Amino acid sequence: MESLLQHLERFSELLAVSRTTHVSTWDPTTVRRALQWARYLRHVHRRFGRHVRVRTALERRLRSQWRQKGASGSAPVPGLNFQALGRCDLLLPLRLLENRALGDAAYHYLLQQLFPGPGVPDADEEALQGSLARLARRRSAVHMLRFNGYGENSVFEESVLKTQAELLLERLGEVPKAEAEGPSRFLSTLWDRLPQNNFLKVIAAALLLPPSSPRPQGEELELDTPKTPGEGGQELVRWLLAKSDVMAAFCHDLPVGLLTSVAGRHPEFFRAYLGLLTDWGRHLHYDLQKGTWVGAEPQHVSWEELYGRFQSLCQAPPPLKDEVLTALESCKAQDGDFQVPGLSIWTDLLFALGSGS
Amino acid sequence: MAQDSVGFSSDYQFWMQKLSLWDQASTLETQQDTCLHLPRFQEFLRQLYEVLKEMDSNTIVERFPTIGQLLAKTCWNPFILAFDESQKILIWCLCCLINKEPQNSEELKLNSWTRGLLSHILSGFRFDTKEVDLLTQGLGYVPADYCPGLLKNMVLSLVSELRENHLNGFNTQRRMVPEKIRFLSRVCIPLVTLPDMEPLVEALLTCQGHEPQEALWPEFFDAVNEAFLLKKISLPTSAVVCLWLRHLPSLEKATLHLFEKLISSERNFLRSIECFLKDSLLPEAACHPAIFRIVDEMFRYALLETDGAPEVLAAVQGFTRCFVEALEKKNKQLKFTFKTYFPYASPSLVMVLLQHPKDIPQELWHQPLKHISEMLREIVEDQTHGSYGGPFECWFLFIHFGGWADIAAEQLVMSEAEPSEALLWLLAFSCSPHDGSPQRAQIMVEVKAVLSRLKKLLRNPILSAKDLQAAAAESRDRDPGPPLCQQLIRRLLLNFLLWAPGGHVNAREVTALMAPSDEIAHEMTVFLDQTLYRWDHLRMEVPRSRKLARELLAELRMAGTAMQEPGSPRPRDVMMRPFLHGMSDENEP
Repeated sequence: MESLLQHLERFSELLAVSRTTHVSTWDPTTVRRALQWARYLRHVHRRFGRHVRVRTALERRLRSQWRQKGASGSAPVPGLNFQALGRCDLLLPLRLLENRALGDAAYHYLLQQLFPGPGVPDADEEALQGSLARLARRRSAVHMLRFNGYGENSVFEESVLKTQAELLLERLGEVPKAEAEGPSRFLSTLWDRLPQNNFLKVIAAALLLPPSSPRPQGEELELDTPKTPGEGGQELVRWLLAKSDVMAAFCHDLPVGLLTSVAGRHPEFFRAYLGLLTDWGRHLHYDLQKGTWVGAEPQHVSWEELYGRFQSLCQAPPPLKDEVLTALESCKAQDGDFQVPGLSIWTDLLFALGSGS
Repeated sequence: MAQDSVGFSSDYQFWMQKLSLWDQASTLETQQDTCLHLPRFQEFLRQLYEVLKEMDSNTIVERFPTIGQLLAKTCWNPFILAFDESQKILIWCLCCLINKEPQNSEELKLNSWTRGLLSHILSGFRFDTKEVDLLTQGLGYVPADYCPGLLKNMVLSLVSELRENHLNGFNTQRRMVPEKIRFLSRVCIPLVTLPDMEPLVEALLTCQGHEPQEALWPEFFDAVNEAFLLKKISLPTSAVVCLWLRHLPSLEKATLHLFEKLISSERNFLRSIECFLKDSLLPEAACHPAIFRIVDEMFRYALLETDGAPEVLAAVQGFTRCFVEALEKKNKQLKFTFKTYFPYASPSLVMVLLQHPKDIPQELWHQPLKHISEMLREIVEDQTHGSYGGPFECWFLFIHFGGWADIAAEQLVMSEAEPSEALLWLLAFSCSPHDGSPQRAQIMVEVKAVLSRLKKLLRNPILSAKDLQAAAAESRDRDPGPPLCQQLIRRLLLNFLLWAPGGHVNAREVTALMAPSDEIAHEMTVFLDQTLYRWDHLRMEVPRSRKLARELLAELRMAGTAMQEPGSPRPRDVMMRPFLHGMSDENEP
């Protein structure tokens, strides 16, 4: 077992090196050994996929590798995971093919191994050649559906968001909960490091994914994933609610309809969202001259934005609408239950929403 | 060899020009033309690889100075990269250009350039947006990880848009405009055999447009049909039915494909015929009357062209059986009346023919037979029934349910009473659809005579093949009559042999005497196979007859393989060939 784990560690390093200029020192023999190793680990993946104890040990070791790699920085960088182990004989050659530092002799040998041509007796080689060709074909398919689409590109944009969301949830599922605040620390690192607007959209897309939509692993055998995306979604909501700045940005920057959809799927989020909205409402005051509700400071949400959010929630299926109206009624009551406009924002909102009594 | 290389050079020039014209297949015209040539271009790539793999990169560049241009243009054409195995063969070709130990700057440059192209084909997909790439990298993924998932999501998104129930985050419905559907169908042409695309192909086939004219490209239908026939794609039956209803040439091609399979199969076991039939999905699809009528029309042509070849007759019967079965399975209450399937036939006749003998006690079989015979005779011989078509139409309808003719022959041979006029007429009609009533009467007389001679043999404790020959001999001396009539007499003899109590004959002797030619041996094989198959279907308990039929069949088949080189065509196949070619030529654009 220990020797297997050491092999895994070495391979993980090898995979990391395959991207660097270090490969300029590789000769055909090195390439051959690297490919053999990848093939061996794919067999390991096949063999122990359903063997819980071995698999857990392998996963733990892989994660400890991430941590070591991230040691120089602040947080772990995800690397090889157990599922990727099943594809490592594909991942390694792809990295090598792209690495211009690889010498010509080594590259020539790599091609001979990967593309032996037609009529290969070795089933493994034939499968690898087929997988690489299929990857090229799929890539072309994506390209064609994207650029030869008809004018607009919303299908592509939506699909990209959904794919990112699936990747995020998959990674989230791998971060061990036992390790001190694993998932939330992981998410916070991403939040600090990545363009935030895109990340917010990805979070929303992830929260809207159906409870179980495992990502296709192509022709690889499907092994039970440790956690379901549903659980990943829970982690995500928990983290979102704990980070008030992210929550505020989320509710402020994303399209209204999207927020309503998320609210419809996640009750905890809905309550927090409603709380935030009422908070924002309290920041508005009535401008007598203009005859409208205005924010005290420029960053405050405008009446129109606030009204739009409430209106969208009221158009959603029953539980949301009822709870929104109840909340507004209670705010109105706290304010003094005014019936005339311009005194309480809640009275005016209820009136604008068509529920003013 | 020199001829070959001249041909190859001119092909090379031809494709070079095509590729320059196509560019990156960004316009409607270039896309259409590319799609039209994809299979041929793939074949060329294969040939190119065969030439290149024998040379080193220097020789390649010397022999084909423009090879770089050719391959680069290929690499940048997404339609080619997406088609079947073209991307794989292209990679093989590029591999031939890589120099193991480049000696000079030229060779280094070529290596570097080739590596760039390989990387372009293989590097997976990048989103081309910085923020998205940053996220995937931050999560530790490479394009190879998410390319399949992205494609799946794009396909699903397009499918739901096609089905008009698309809901995005904004809860607004989008409907796909016809132009976009058309566009999409063209993009899908090279991709139909990619399994990831199956849901989209299915959705395109089944989406009901709102325009009167066809929204999808004809080449899309061609590509899907071709992939379906070659089993490179698996589609639900409903989608295949839509394909054939929307694109007639595809249905014709599928039917011809079935014919070819039925005829070229080494031996026509009915079981394998049935498998081919069911596998083709045609009987199931034929539940839609429009499809049934076209397939049936093609069967009619096949019968006319082959002069009623026994295999075609067997195929028509097999097809009808599978079709009726599918119809019964599909809806207990028929969606369409039988009139829609057989518009020129008398509805009451169709109803009688459709009865399954299995549902009627054996001792009452003569009743429906008599009924069928009388109805047919009335229509055929009474000119006032013009609306139900001529004798040929009636015959064509009757042979769909040819099992009844076989039962009639069996009944005549088994019964000790005077042969029934109705049954004799039915048999005579089944073998001579074109003749008038005087000729038919002549056949009836002949059959009656053979039957009475056979009946004398019935008491013989042991039958020999010679006795049978003698019974049939008298009719031999005179005008042999139409081939189908001779066939009928041979059938009666065989039936008699199977049923007579003294029919313990030497199988080898019988086949040697009764099947003097390959043609007749083959006819007897078909008949025996059909008989056994029918008995199985009717669950008839006739162990002795069954055993004898099996022995005869085995003997005939053994003799057949001894006489014939394996794989060489039977005479009948040769007969069918011009027909099949004629039909497929019609479909060529």
